Amino acid sequence: MYGYQNKVLRVDLSKKTAAAEPLRMDWAEKYIGSKGLAIKYLYEELKPGIDPLSPENKLILMTGPMTGTTVPCSGKLGVAGKSPATGTICDCSIGGHAALRIKYAGYDAVIIEGALDKPGYLLIEDDKISFEDASELWGKGCHETEAILADKYGHEYSVLTIGPAGENLCGMACITSDYYRQAGRGGMGAVMGSKNLKAVVVKGTGGVKIPNVEEAVKRILEIQNEDVLQEDNTFVFDWGTTAFLEACQDGGILPYKNFSDTTDPNWTEYNGEVFMEKLEGKRGCGSCGLGCGNFLKIGDAICEGPEYETIAAYGPNAGNRDPEAILKANQVADDMGLDTISSGDVLAWAMEMTEKGIHDFGIRFGEMDTYIKYLEMIAKGEGIGKELAMGVKKLAGKYGGKDFAMEVKGLEYPQYEPRGSWGMSLAYAVSDRGACHMRAYAPNEEVFAASIPPYTPEGKGEMVYKLAQHNAVKFCLCICDFWGTISMETMAELMSLVTGKEWTVEEIADVGTRVINIARAFNQREGFTAKDDTAPKRIFKEALKNGPAAGQKIPEEAFEDMKQQYYKVLGWDENGLLPDSLIATL
Amino acid sequence: MKRLRFSKKKCIGCQLCGQICSATHEGAFVPSKARVYIETYYDKGGVLKYQDSYCTLCGICFKNCPTGAISMDGKILVDHEVCIGCGTCAEKCPKKVVRLRDGKSYICDTCDGDPMCVKVCPQNALTFE
Repeated sequence: MYGYQNKVLRVDLSKKTAAAEPLRMDWAEKYIGSKGLAIKYLYEELKPGIDPLSPENKLILMTGPMTGTTVPCSGKLGVAGKSPATGTICDCSIGGHAALRIKYAGYDAVIIEGALDKPGYLLIEDDKISFEDASELWGKGCHETEAILADKYGHEYSVLTIGPAGENLCGMACITSDYYRQAGRGGMGAVMGSKNLKAVVVKGTGGVKIPNVEEAVKRILEIQNEDVLQEDNTFVFDWGTTAFLEACQDGGILPYKNFSDTTDPNWTEYNGEVFMEKLEGKRGCGSCGLGCGNFLKIGDAICEGPEYETIAAYGPNAGNRDPEAILKANQVADDMGLDTISSGDVLAWAMEMTEKGIHDFGIRFGEMDTYIKYLEMIAKGEGIGKELAMGVKKLAGKYGGKDFAMEVKGLEYPQYEPRGSWGMSLAYAVSDRGACHMRAYAPNEEVFAASIPPYTPEGKGEMVYKLAQHNAVKFCLCICDFWGTISMETMAELMSLVTGKEWTVEEIADVGTRVINIARAFNQREGFTAKDDTAPKRIFKEALKNGPAAGQKIPEEAFEDMKQQYYKVLGWDENGLLPDSLIATL
Repeated sequence: MKRLRFSKKKCIGCQLCGQICSATHEGAFVPSKARVYIETYYDKGGVLKYQDSYCTLCGICFKNCPTGAISMDGKILVDHEVCIGCGTCAEKCPKKVVRLRDGKSYICDTCDGDPMCVKVCPQNALTFE
């Protein structure tokens, strides 16, 4: 089939071997690429019950049929493995240019198995593969590592690297590329660290073929101009995700002080306008015309970002209003290779624990000097950082404060307050990798577009399913979240243009459902059931005090009702399990 | 004479220009063969830098070609029957945009006055004027 390279690079780090093998096209037809296809490989190849930090876990870098083409916003790379943070399947989507270079090197995917006996990095130059020594790089931050490798190889190479967080096997460790892009969640950086793999460096000089290229390119260009480069999407060029700060503040879903409340009367001290005034330049990912990245400088702090998640986590949710401290903390976390969402929730929880007198973690709301120091200590596993690196679920198991430990399955909450968007509590609960906002983004329907009433369980099972199905397809196609206007029809058309096989909307929608199912089947095999689809007690017990959602809390029965609706629409049983008949279709 | 112009300020480093150039001229998305190569990168994470290889129609390749294979009349054309692949054009090109492959030289032909790289550039960083 066109679009694919029909080749997977399988790397065994234990044996230091690398060999190309054919892509399983029978699987690609059912799962397309990136998220879906990576999960299928892991579902077939990982033994149930393995330790995610053992050599038995695999790390998959997966492109898709559109990677490397002019299909807009198609530059994202799927990064997947079993998560050390949750024990679930985990797939991330990293921007930058690495996906394109893997594809131009001739591979649809790189499957990394085993573990190196000492720190090294993998060098891929088309069909030339080598294992290089990384003893000089080990211990260094992501930024210094990338700078050293860029000096050595040049900027035509992409680097995927981990920082100290990954080396120290922290469940909040990211994989970083292009300095400021991350496979952020679920500890994929720790999987790399457990394999003693400091980096993957890749350059490709080959190409990607699609049928009827001249006409296809013209049609893709029309789609770029008529669909992608429209106001509903181009706000990410003008603002990046800083735009969401105002939307969340106005909608009453901006978390405040560890989700103890929402909205902040002084939010304009760190809103999009404040950050965009400090813009040094714009940069996007390969194949994307939207260019969401804001390269900013405030005082000594310099970073591409901060994204909405980081502003909210390191700002109001930490009781902080200083934009320079937000950017500095962002820069430190990026360099350390630490997920800003999870680290933000851990520190917000520790602050609340201290202030409530339950346990003194030596940090209170707004103490940003300590905060930034703690981020580094978490990544390096030093002092109290070693404790905090456990993640909020394990911390609450040890120290108490479970009711306000904001997590699902061990993955910390993204910065959307679910009491103001009830569907989000369901989306967090049933997401395949723990609390994630990328699987189904309820605030769009419930708050921003306000097309569905937010404070009711009614219809939420169907709503979250439809959103998750749509995103699952998008992520299989490697298309970025920020092409918000893309329809199933356009996705089917793009698949037809790129692969040369006609795809219908029904077929493509079925892929989305199948991906939700196989991810669930993976987790089911690991022992996850309905009892793991949880929400922190805080959102059931405590009503919000401020903002448009003041007075709101989610009745526990409403939450259970939403879960059952969701299971039902997918054909799962009341315990959230797939019947054998459904598993047989995967 | 219309020529390609590039605004660093507007470029977001998407590399769609090189992709569409190669798709148009080589029939596949293969930027290593593209006749325009523009990208941005962070130097040591701290400074945003640009590589801007595109044909400005300066004519240096045409003037220096020892075999007369290169002509220039509103655009550059390389006669591959005559080109001996000596590489003089690539060596002299101030924008480093000449590609040498299989003993022949490949240079931007402005898509015959209607460059695809300009059409695809999502931020109008590349213009033809």
